[in-house]
Amino acid sequence: MYLDEITQSRQEPAGSRADVVVIDDEDSMCEGCRQVLEADGYHTLTAPDGPRGLELVQQVHPRIVLVDLRMPGMSGMDVLAKVSDIDPAIVSIVITGYASIESAVQSMKIGALDFLAKPFRPEQLLDSVRRGMEASRTREQAVAPPQMEAPPRPMEAPDAALRGLEVIGQYYSLGLGKRDLLDELRHLEGEAQFLAETLGRIKEKEQVLLEVVTDLCLVDEMIARHEYRKSALLQILLDVQTRLNWLPRHALKWISRRLKVPLASVYTIANFYEAFSLVPRGAHLVEICTGTACHVRGASGVEATVTAILGIEPGQTDAERLFTLKTVHCMGCCALAPVIKIDDRYFSNPTMKELQKVFASYGQAKEQPCQS
Amino acid sequence: MPKLNSAADLERLRREINAARDPRRRCITVCSGTGCLASRSQEVVTALQKELAGRGLQDKIDLRRTGCYGFCEQGPIVVIEPDGSCYLRARPKDVPEIVSKTLLDGQVITRLLYEDPQTHQRIGRFEDIPFYKHQKRLLLAANAMLDPKRIDDYIAIGGYSALAKGLFKMKPERVLDQVKLSGLRGRGGGGFPTGKKWETTRNALDEPKYVIVNADEGDPGAYMDRSLLEGNPHSVLEGLILGGYAIGASEGFIYVRQEYPLAVENTRLALAQAEEYGLLGRNILGSDFDFTVRIHRGAGAFVSGESSALMSSIEGRVGEPRPKYIHTAVKGLWDKPSCLNNVETWANVPLIINHGAEWFAGLGTKNSKGTKIFSLVGKVNNTGLVEVPMGMTLRQIVYDIGGGVPGGKRLKAVQTGGPSGGVIPESMLDLPVDFDELYQAGSMMGSGGLIVMDEDTCMVDMARYYVDFLAHESCGKCVPCREGLRQMLHILNRITVGEGKESDIELLEELSQFMQEAALCALGTTAPNPVLSTIRHFRAEYEDHIRDKRCPAGVCKSLIAYTINPDVCIGCGTCAKNCPTDAITKDEERDVYLIDQDQCIKCGSCLAVCPPKVRAIVKGPPGVVLERA
Repeated sequence: MYLDEITQSRQEPAGSRADVVVIDDEDSMCEGCRQVLEADGYHTLTAPDGPRGLELVQQVHPRIVLVDLRMPGMSGMDVLAKVSDIDPAIVSIVITGYASIESAVQSMKIGALDFLAKPFRPEQLLDSVRRGMEASRTREQAVAPPQMEAPPRPMEAPDAALRGLEVIGQYYSLGLGKRDLLDELRHLEGEAQFLAETLGRIKEKEQVLLEVVTDLCLVDEMIARHEYRKSALLQILLDVQTRLNWLPRHALKWISRRLKVPLASVYTIANFYEAFSLVPRGAHLVEICTGTACHVRGASGVEATVTAILGIEPGQTDAERLFTLKTVHCMGCCALAPVIKIDDRYFSNPTMKELQKVFASYGQAKEQPCQS
Repeated sequence: MPKLNSAADLERLRREINAARDPRRRCITVCSGTGCLASRSQEVVTALQKELAGRGLQDKIDLRRTGCYGFCEQGPIVVIEPDGSCYLRARPKDVPEIVSKTLLDGQVITRLLYEDPQTHQRIGRFEDIPFYKHQKRLLLAANAMLDPKRIDDYIAIGGYSALAKGLFKMKPERVLDQVKLSGLRGRGGGGFPTGKKWETTRNALDEPKYVIVNADEGDPGAYMDRSLLEGNPHSVLEGLILGGYAIGASEGFIYVRQEYPLAVENTRLALAQAEEYGLLGRNILGSDFDFTVRIHRGAGAFVSGESSALMSSIEGRVGEPRPKYIHTAVKGLWDKPSCLNNVETWANVPLIINHGAEWFAGLGTKNSKGTKIFSLVGKVNNTGLVEVPMGMTLRQIVYDIGGGVPGGKRLKAVQTGGPSGGVIPESMLDLPVDFDELYQAGSMMGSGGLIVMDEDTCMVDMARYYVDFLAHESCGKCVPCREGLRQMLHILNRITVGEGKESDIELLEELSQFMQEAALCALGTTAPNPVLSTIRHFRAEYEDHIRDKRCPAGVCKSLIAYTINPDVCIGCGTCAKNCPTDAITKDEERDVYLIDQDQCIKCGSCLAVCPPKVRAIVKGPPGVVLERA
């Protein structure tokens, strides 16, 4: 995390994690190695003897330690053993003026990866360090198994802001300039926004998935109620239509799979019958009866009025998805013709005023839950 | 509920139910059919429950929600038994008075009674209302006597006695014979002899056999089947079980359209209750006859009411008809012999078994027996469901029962048979209701829609309406129907917007003939009927549209305009307030209102609200500007 790095680096001005620590009693050796390695991009620190070297290793957890075998006081071998105690992932490379097979084998037995015989050329050093870095990475993965804790939770936007304030406080106490602060603020803002968006996207996706899963569970229940009979396809579709108010594609696919009926057949039926809708319907279904009795008694006038009030044609749904308008062939209320039906309520020969009032009442009913 | 294991068990149960009921005890019934529910009858029931409970009367007076009474326009209908006082258009606010005055003091509330539009006389008992007096309600009468959600109510009035009689006293062949002898013909529209159909299925060699109730009542303007299935589902079920017994089927289906949610609910309940009593399932009433029934909902396709299409739909496929080289009675559902009858046909079966074939054959005309339920709707005073004996004339139905045309308008025609039928002009109103007579007049019985049309109905628009309906409902499988209807609609649309051509009528006739001969199923072959019969009886109206670009009835929107007569307009502004498009504005100078023709959508709202004493809105041909005289 970007923020963490900043805080740490300010607390330890010496640098966070070094790549290489060189421990040698010869100053020139130390300096030489440091220059070669730094020039190749490895952050390198040095120490003149074992104890100080180990202290440094403890502090900076380098990937590689270069150790001279022969040093006054603590010997290189001892240092090697201690280093692997501190962190087994650290790769040790031995530097020795006595390039005997024996000492080399010995050092490798206690954990050194490689050895460099003095004098060596810069290329040899770099080669060895490069291999060491690779080894260090594989060891790190092997030694510290992938962290199984919960994956980093995307920070909620308010968290990020609070954290940001904290950091600004720290900055301030460190006496940093205003410009840095502004930069940091801008960065924080971007970070927070990015997090919020990611969070939103994840939640949206989660929501959609959840809805689909809920739908499919429901569909499954209905299929089970009809005992997985292929002949019940129409009945299942009717049940699904009633519950979901339309037939979503995922539901149709699921039915097709569960009943082992080709998806095309499912679609044929869904398209054939009036009762089904392949697009989401509004919250309320407005049905204008166009049966003969209603037609004779002026259903077309009612249709014109309803269409004018709602601003949608039969078969359409309004932009707020509040109403879906439909014409139906006879609801069997011929004696009350002309009839319109809104959900379960019937209206016999309604006037325009009545209709306006009724439709308005549905509009308000929808707004209420949002306010509370 | 205990399982009934014999006919004696059923009789015992019936005696028990009736013994527990006091015939003198007062019962208030509220119609809860779809029509009355639409008129808020549930609110009346709730108010009654509250009122009765509030007065501590809930144990002394029964409250019953019944099936459809038939007089739907006057709903909600409340009848008080046993005296039979009938209150119409009852509102929740009337409830306290009904309880205190009628139920407690025995007084009649005059204002809620039926008022004869001619004599202004009030009529107290519902049997005396002309609408009911001239009917013969063999099937519908029971609707008023029972709560369709309670099987005990049906058993109390003799329900399932026909089934017991059939199972224990008659062989299946004899049940079939009785149906054959009765002369019952299919009520779904075709009028095929029911007994003959049953026999075909019974004699078919394949097994198993199926029996099916067709309650996919797609005919617009007809709702008899809904009313029967909703108001008395057990009568249909009893008929179906008897049919299964006679034919040798042990599985039945009820195909009901989902636009009738109450019918679906009540049927479902009826099946469950019948099963609990052992009237469905294994060893019905202790006999060795097994029978189960399954409900299948239709999803809004007119063509699915056709027998082969309906069976495809039950099989889970698209409800499209197939060529019927072999009848469905022999190779139907899953290619097995399947007997499909309409709701009303099945409901007649228990009556025939109970009363005998001779009794049934004694009703009606030579070739059409029994009664027929019509939905008498449109421009008629008493709208609702009427059941009349076959042979009654259309005039009797429209005038004696229906009370004539409202508003002193002239009757123009009566339409029967729905989209497959045709119009019968006023001059032919003395035609008796009979399968063959109607067919010869260029219409058909159909499932029972009877739509009355007055001078304000345009016949070309009616033809266009039916063709539009059919073009929408055609499954598109065969070319004559799909393309024929499309072309017909195109021509009729042209005529109604004033762009008709001289040769259009002949072209329509030619197309019609072609479709009658070539279409695959009855939807296509009968589709030209509305066009042909309107041309036959109202050719002059077509010619008015084509030659003079005029719609005499003032219906076709492109050929009319609404204007305000400035001489009579009183400037009240009611029309402007009721205009959905704000097309009406005030001319302040002259203190009258004007209609902007560009904005007018011709919905007729203004005409409807203009005070009857003023009548300033004029419907006339477009382009006529009314100026102050």
